[in-house]
Parts: sequence; C-alpha cells; structure tokens
Amino acid sequence: MRVWLLFVAAVVCAGQDNWPTYSGNYNGWRHSTLDQINRETVSKLKVAWVFQMPVTERIETTPLVIDGVMYISEPPSNVVALDAETGRPYWRYRRSLPDKINVCCGQVNRGVAVSGDRVFIGTVDAHLVALHAKTGAVLWDIPVADPKTGHSLTGAPLIVKDMVITGVAGGEYGVRGFLDAYDMKTGQRRWRFWTIPEPGQPGSETWSGDAWKHGGGPTWVTGAFDPAQNLIIWGTGNPSPDWNGDVRPGDNLYSDSAIALDADTGKLKWHYQFVPHDTHDWDAVQVPVLVDGEWQGKPRKLVYWAHRNGFFYVLDRTTGEFLLAKAFATQTWNDGFTKAGRPIRKPNIDPSPEGTYVWPGVQGATNWYSPSYSPQSGYFYLTAWENKGLYRKGDAEYIPGNRFIGSVPEIDLPEEPGWGAIRALNPKTGERVWEYKMHTKPWSGVLTTAGKLLFGSTGGWLSREKMAMESFFFALDNETGKELWRINLGGTMASNPMTFRVKGKQMVVMAAGSGIFAFALP
Amino acid sequence: MRSVLLIPLLATLAVAQIRNPHTSPADVAAGAKIYRSHCADCHGINGQGGKGPDLTGGQYFHGSSDAALLKNITDGIEGTAMPGQFFSADQVWQVVAFIRTLAVKGSAQAPPGDAAAGAKLFRAKGCSNCHLVRGEGGVNGPDLSFIGSQRPAVHIRQSIENPNAHVDPAYWRADVVLEDGTPYKGFLMNEDTYHVQMLHPAKGLVTLPKRDFRKFAIEKMSAMPAYKGKLTEPELESLVAYLWAQQRPRRVE
Repeated sequence: MRVWLLFVAAVVCAGQDNWPTYSGNYNGWRHSTLDQINRETVSKLKVAWVFQMPVTERIETTPLVIDGVMYISEPPSNVVALDAETGRPYWRYRRSLPDKINVCCGQVNRGVAVSGDRVFIGTVDAHLVALHAKTGAVLWDIPVADPKTGHSLTGAPLIVKDMVITGVAGGEYGVRGFLDAYDMKTGQRRWRFWTIPEPGQPGSETWSGDAWKHGGGPTWVTGAFDPAQNLIIWGTGNPSPDWNGDVRPGDNLYSDSAIALDADTGKLKWHYQFVPHDTHDWDAVQVPVLVDGEWQGKPRKLVYWAHRNGFFYVLDRTTGEFLLAKAFATQTWNDGFTKAGRPIRKPNIDPSPEGTYVWPGVQGATNWYSPSYSPQSGYFYLTAWENKGLYRKGDAEYIPGNRFIGSVPEIDLPEEPGWGAIRALNPKTGERVWEYKMHTKPWSGVLTTAGKLLFGSTGGWLSREKMAMESFFFALDNETGKELWRINLGGTMASNPMTFRVKGKQMVVMAAGSGIFAFALP
Repeated sequence: MRSVLLIPLLATLAVAQIRNPHTSPADVAAGAKIYRSHCADCHGINGQGGKGPDLTGGQYFHGSSDAALLKNITDGIEGTAMPGQFFSADQVWQVVAFIRTLAVKGSAQAPPGDAAAGAKLFRAKGCSNCHLVRGEGGVNGPDLSFIGSQRPAVHIRQSIENPNAHVDPAYWRADVVLEDGTPYKGFLMNEDTYHVQMLHPAKGLVTLPKRDFRKFAIEKMSAMPAYKGKLTEPELESLVAYLWAQQRPRRVE
C-alpha cells in the first residue's frame, strides 16, 4: 500500500528529476517543472548524446527516466536500459517473435512502464512482459490476447496502484477491444473492461446482430489516472470495419469514446462518445488531459481532449458531462452539437464507392501523438493537421487475421497534401491563442516546461515518395509561439519529446530515425 | 556450413513456388474493382500504361512471379513512384489475378519508326541538351535511359508533342526572388518549413532559406518546349521508336 502511495506521489507531483510515466504525470500533461533550459538559455542547446537502435521500424517510444536510468522500448518489442547521462546501454531485452505479425501500421511500440524494480512492456504478439529493472531478466510473460486474430500491444502500459493497465490494438482487424488490469507482482489479471458490450449488457442496444464480436474499439494509446476519484480515463478507437458502417448499424458504443473506469473493479463510471457510428476512422486514442480548473467561474474537475475529428472538448471528469466542443482545425462533417453533446452530422459525409471528400482526412486533425498542458500559461497545446481525405467504401467481410476495414481511403492527396501546425488553445473557450505553421504534416507530440518552452517537431516519416518530409526539432516560447531554437535531426519523427534531470543537468529527448537524441546546455 | 548454404537456396525456391490462391472469376472481378480505383490512374484502365509502366507485356522489371507482384503491390517499389497499398493480402492477390488478365499477346511490339534515325534526331533537335540517355546528355529534364520500360509509346509521343499533358512534380520549378533582389529559378527538389531546395540551371544544387524570400512561386508547367508541328510525322515516329527502344535489361528471376 505504502509503496504505491509513494509512487503516486512521485507521479503526481512531478517535481521532477524523473519522467516516470508515458505522459510525465498521471494528468496527461506532458509538462515538466524543470526550467534550467528556458527562454533565455535554450539557444545554447546542444546534442549531449545519441543512442542508435539497430532497427528499421519506426521509433514511437517515449523514454522514461527514473533516478538516472532511462528505459526505452525498441521496436518491435525490445527494451533497453541506458545511463541517462551518457546514453550508454546497460542491458537489452530482445523478444523473439512469430514470423507473421498482424499490425496495421508497422511493428511499433510507444514505450514501457516502470514501477520499483519492474519494467513492463506490451508486445506486438500481444503479450505483457515484466522485466527486472536492473538486469532485464523476465519476471513473467503472459498472453493478453491472440495475435493470430490481429491483436497486438503497441501502447505504453500505465501503472495504477499495484496494477499494470494495458490496452490493445487491432481496430483494422476486427478485434473486440478491451482494457486490462494485471497484478504487478504475478501477472494475474484483475479485471477486463470490454469496450464493445456483449448482448444484454448496457450499450449493446447500439449494435445489431453479431457485429459486436468484431466491433473494434481498441485502446492503443496510454490513458490518464485520477487518484482522488480512483478513475482511469482512457480513449477508445474506431469501430470495425473502419470505412463501411453498413454491417454495424447503431452508435457502436463504446467505440471512439472517452471511458472512465473504477480503478479497482474496471467498472464503467461514465463515457462520452465523440463520434457515434464512426465511418472515418476517427479514433479517440488521444491522451486525456486532466485539469482541476475553473468552469464558468466555479472550480470543477475537467478533462480536456483534442480529438482526431477536429474538435477540442471539455468534459466534466466526475460525470462525463459534455461542457464544450470547439473546432481547432478545418472540418466539414459537423453541424453543431445537441445540448447533451451529441454531434450533428452534415449530410453526405459517409464514404462512398466513388469516394467522398471530408475534412479532416483519415489521419485526423490530430492523432495519437501527445498534447501538452502548461499550468503556468494555462494553455492547451497540440499538433494539428489541416487536411482533407478521400473516403472510399468497399466490401467488408470478417476473415480472422485479415484486415477488416471496408476499402482504403486516400490519405495524402497529391494535389492537396495538407499542412501542419502547433497550436495553443485557451481551454476555457477552445479559441486559438497562437499557431506555428509547418509545410508538412507532423507525426509527433509536444512537451511544455516551466522554462516557458514548448518542444515540438516538423515533418513525419521519411519515405521514398516523400523526400520532402522534414525532421526539425524545435523550441518555441510557449506564451507566444515564437521560435527560439531548432535543429535538423534528419530522420522520421513519430514520437513525443520528454525531459528529465540527471546530476543537476536538464536534458530534453526526442527520437528521430533510429536514434534517441538527448540535448543539454553546455 | 552446408546448411547455411542451403537455406538461401531453399528460400528462393519457396518464394518462386508461391502461387496466387485467389484466381477465380469472382477474384478477378474483385481485383478489377480495386485496380480501377487504385492502379488505373497510372497504369491505365486496360493496363496500357500512362504515368506508370505498361502492364500488358506480362513481364515486369521488378519481378513477374506471383510472389514478386504480391510484394511490389503491398510494399511499393523503392526508388520509383509506385506506392504501397493498404490492402489485405487476399485483396492484393485479387489484384494480381486481374493483372494477369491484362497481358496481351504481341503488346511488346516496337512502334513504327526508324530508331536509328531517331537517335540522330535526339541529338540534332537538342533533346540531349536536357535529357540523359545512358550517361550522355544533360540533367535539366527527366532521365530517359529506360523510358521504354517506364512509359508506353503513346505516352512518349504525347510528352514530345505536348509536355504539359503530364508534368512529373519532380520537374515543377521554383521561382524565387530574395529580399536583396537576387532571382533564382530552377527545378523544385524539396520544400520544408524553412527552406527551398532547387536544381538551378547555372548554380547547380541550391538550398535557400525562406526567411530571405521576397517572392516564391511554384510553376507546374513543363520547362520543355512543345514539339507538336515542329517535327514531321516520320521524325516524330523515329524519335518515339528510339525512345521506346530504351528498355531496361531483362532481370533474371
């Protein structure tokens, strides 16, 4: 009991040499109280070390740092422990995998969880593994789901009390999504919440026939934890098949939703569905940002959420009540909201055999990469895309282990490729405060610090067709959006920056290409 | 040691023996549907080619086996404009089944025209000032060393008569004027948030910071003059015959 209370204290008051969990703290802020690197000093930032991984898969990891040791996941499902000061590796856990792995979008991993002497990783063959933090020795290794039917684990687990919480990926394979809690010591499952209810359960009235069995609603991005209310808040992904809704009439709960679960029982306390009966693959797999703020003059427990569908939302964290939705990027699908928060869809936005243009495109106006919240500025920051997509509808037949999607939309329209920006929003109104424009659409998240900085990056993955993608890592003044520093890292950037302090020195870290780059002041 | 040598050999045999499991008429019809929406824009509605290679020959430089087609459609082809496709393996097999129906006997026959005369015209008319053919010529236009494998004769002819009918974005031009008044105009190679990179006809490879720009425009028109009406029909046929004869060496599978 005492141990996890200490851990909660460490995670909640990130005061803060360590970066103990995926988003830096349980609130999902991706914010650090460190200020050695600040608006005055940031222009002197230099590369301190680079750790290169001998892999070709995309790096999506957010490193964790605990007491001078950095823990990173290396794709597909390896773990490396490094000295955070020098970047020299201590040990590596190498996972051998079956020949065929069913993942939609690369054999990737977004990071590990650490508690005491244990490091936890979810694997692309759908296992959860506990390693000894000092040596990488396997403590336990349990199957979470069947990889042959398209289940995989790509997100960073979350430590809650004495449990490891993990989601699952597979929304393009017709999995039935869930969120699981495992005993940290033994690997025994404590509870499972099915994101798609079975017949007879609340929410099952939003499905018909057997569609629920392959209904999707995966949980592949790490959520947040509210210790005061004992609530786990997590996002769910698209219903399956993605772009053909005909086989699943109804709202398809709890796909594309924010869900709040009792941490001890896994029972649903509330939910809010961002996109009822989604046909555009607009997952709600964003990091929920929990803020005890002011709402219309009164203190209130809130959740801020910038969703793939182009809207910034404010929800009540105790009840899930819808308080605000405001577009943060161009969208052509929505005609407002009912008082209860149900979106009013414009006509003729569904995918069609010949293709339907809708803003945002299928990768959304934002995606899984992290937003940030700074308690100093009070602003909510995110990476946003201005883009439209051509949505096609095709046949969708469920075959185990095959993609169950219903045609393929066009993502990067050659004539109108779209562009990206870092945007700062006033979360009280959803209004934009500033924006930093980019030529291309970035694939990485943002970090804010008490140095009144925002770290972010341009571009996305470098591929043969897209020589022009870019790989700049930069620091902005988080109050104005003014650029203060940047460097070209020259490789795919598809993760989130983080920061920590070791031996009195603050470092900022970003992954690019196959490398982890650490920056510090000279 | 022996087993080490055997493994690659066995692997090669195994790949060569992969056969398309989806070849029924229904599979062909399903493949045709995907082909029309996702492939026809470059390869032509009947596989006759266009912005991409002709598929009616039945032999493909990057591999003609079922396994090679499966791989190239799924993953795309490195170094070419061929993208990978986000389809399940079953669907790609259906596309492969349809592509097999595109093969037309005798489709690989040379177009009419005197290729040797075309070779002389290629230099005499100034084409080689800008275009490279197997190491000879300029770099102010597309490399035509293997153009006969990459485009059908009808597309080659169209590109000579009316270059603007299809301009590869790699040959769009950046038109830049710096704050100090210096003009730069060249092929736009890359653009990012902070820079424009170009191949300048006189200055070569140039990277310019956007913060210094007074003017920046992208010209999507071809830099090549249109030869419609400037060549006799026999001259045009000879040029097309010469360019079509620029084929990649057949790859051994």
